[in-house]
Amino acid sequence: MTRIIVVTSGKGGVGKTTCTANLGMALAQREQRVAVLDADFGLRNLDLLLGLENRIVYTALDVLAGDCRMEQALVKDKRQPNLALLAAAQNRSKESITPEQTASLVAQLTDSFDYILVDSPAGIEMGFRNAIAAANEAIIVTTPEISAVRDADRVIGLLEANDVKKMQLIVNRLKPAMVQVQQMMSVQDVQDILAIPLLGVVPDDERVIVSTNRGEPLVLETKLSLAGLAFANVARRLQGEKVPFLDLNAPHDDLFVRLRRFLKG
Amino acid sequence: MNSESPSPTSVSELPILDTNPDGQVRFKSQGGRLLLLLPPEPEGDTLPLPWSELWEQLKHRLNAGERFWQPRTTVHLLARNRLLDARQLQAIADVLSEADLALKRIYTSRRQTAVAAVTAGYSVDQHAPVTHLNQTASESGQALEDPLYVQSTIRAGVEIRHHGSVVILGDVNPGGSVVADGDILIWGRLRGLVHAGYGGNPDCRIMALRMDPTQLRIADKVARPPETPPEQYLPEIAYVGNDGIRIALAAEFPRLSSNA
Repeated sequence: MTRIIVVTSGKGGVGKTTCTANLGMALAQREQRVAVLDADFGLRNLDLLLGLENRIVYTALDVLAGDCRMEQALVKDKRQPNLALLAAAQNRSKESITPEQTASLVAQLTDSFDYILVDSPAGIEMGFRNAIAAANEAIIVTTPEISAVRDADRVIGLLEANDVKKMQLIVNRLKPAMVQVQQMMSVQDVQDILAIPLLGVVPDDERVIVSTNRGEPLVLETKLSLAGLAFANVARRLQGEKVPFLDLNAPHDDLFVRLRRFLKG
Repeated sequence: MNSESPSPTSVSELPILDTNPDGQVRFKSQGGRLLLLLPPEPEGDTLPLPWSELWEQLKHRLNAGERFWQPRTTVHLLARNRLLDARQLQAIADVLSEADLALKRIYTSRRQTAVAAVTAGYSVDQHAPVTHLNQTASESGQALEDPLYVQSTIRAGVEIRHHGSVVILGDVNPGGSVVADGDILIWGRLRGLVHAGYGGNPDCRIMALRMDPTQLRIADKVARPPETPPEQYLPEIAYVGNDGIRIALAAEFPRLSSNA
């Protein structure tokens, strides 16, 4: 059965689109047929992160309007033919589409794909409602910041009320060194509040910015960075594999940090 | 209270709001049946609760209390002056039947709602819209309602309001709130905002296994937690003492209150 997963967070800028792009690519690398659907009408970004912007001819709205067939609107990735993108319309607002229409779009994709990842816009308004309309599970992305966690908590409540019961958490942009000196919330702190299963922890990495600007997801690198490896592991866990969490502390845990921690008790 | 008059209350006190706190979906059992009460549409310019929010509240209350209802319990829907179309009625009936509850009868003061309900085949009682006015007017002198039992985490953005005591089996997260006319008992971690004795009763208490709130309110008193968190958390009880809200260890509270 096709898994329809919405990637959402409430707060903006925590890495929903980055997660969608990397997970989509990582799942495709693992021989899964993946469609990524950009639900961020008016502020689409997913095509940029995947480096597919210049190949978009039709958008989801054209499919709904009957101006093209679904196959024409799906942009196949040249690097990874298992991955296809359905782009959002850039010139329209989030109110130009209804939850029912999103559900019908997704329904057209279920036969030909194993995974459908829906990239949700920030906020909890119409765009969010569109994004979750067809989903049967959700990935909640948050950063270890109190504001992002608060918004994630709100979103979890809304998803529960809208019958998306299966939810998993990605803690993005963790800085292990800051956690060690107790300047940043730890993954445990985040989980204490949100109380949903942890799917992955992605360390903060400057290479994410480079990869975004180039339109090449991190998981395409030949020698994976720590963040890229974290995304690849998330994809494996999504498929049901038991993969131990990365030890993000290891390289930073030098003598000084240990000494400071020891002195602090 | 208008803004010109000098306010007698200190900063730490709240005015007792006489707004109807009843803006929520509620379940109530009566004579072996379950009543589902929808909030009345407000008069004047205030917008009614949007359907999506009403729906979320209904789902939340259903999820939080599901365990206690006998299968095939009859539900009477008290829609008051809320407009419901056929699709919304169907949605309510569907979600109730998922919880093994059967929607049988609908009480409404709106003609359109009544027509939609009759068309869908429910028994309908259409009453004059004045009834809910009478209800709110006489509310002040009424006894508290039965305690509300909620088995759920109260997440950010969720607010539970009740004309009685509230028992939460779960955490109250930061950004979540519970407002009750009676006591509030939280069998879990309290990290949000709770207001006991909302109607003005200072004898109400707040109990939590782990008292780590954003803010505590009892009747017209407000308290913030200390800036430095305690070393360890033990079950505690908040009550109104001589100088505002006090917190005592639950284990020692009976002795304290018998001395007082």
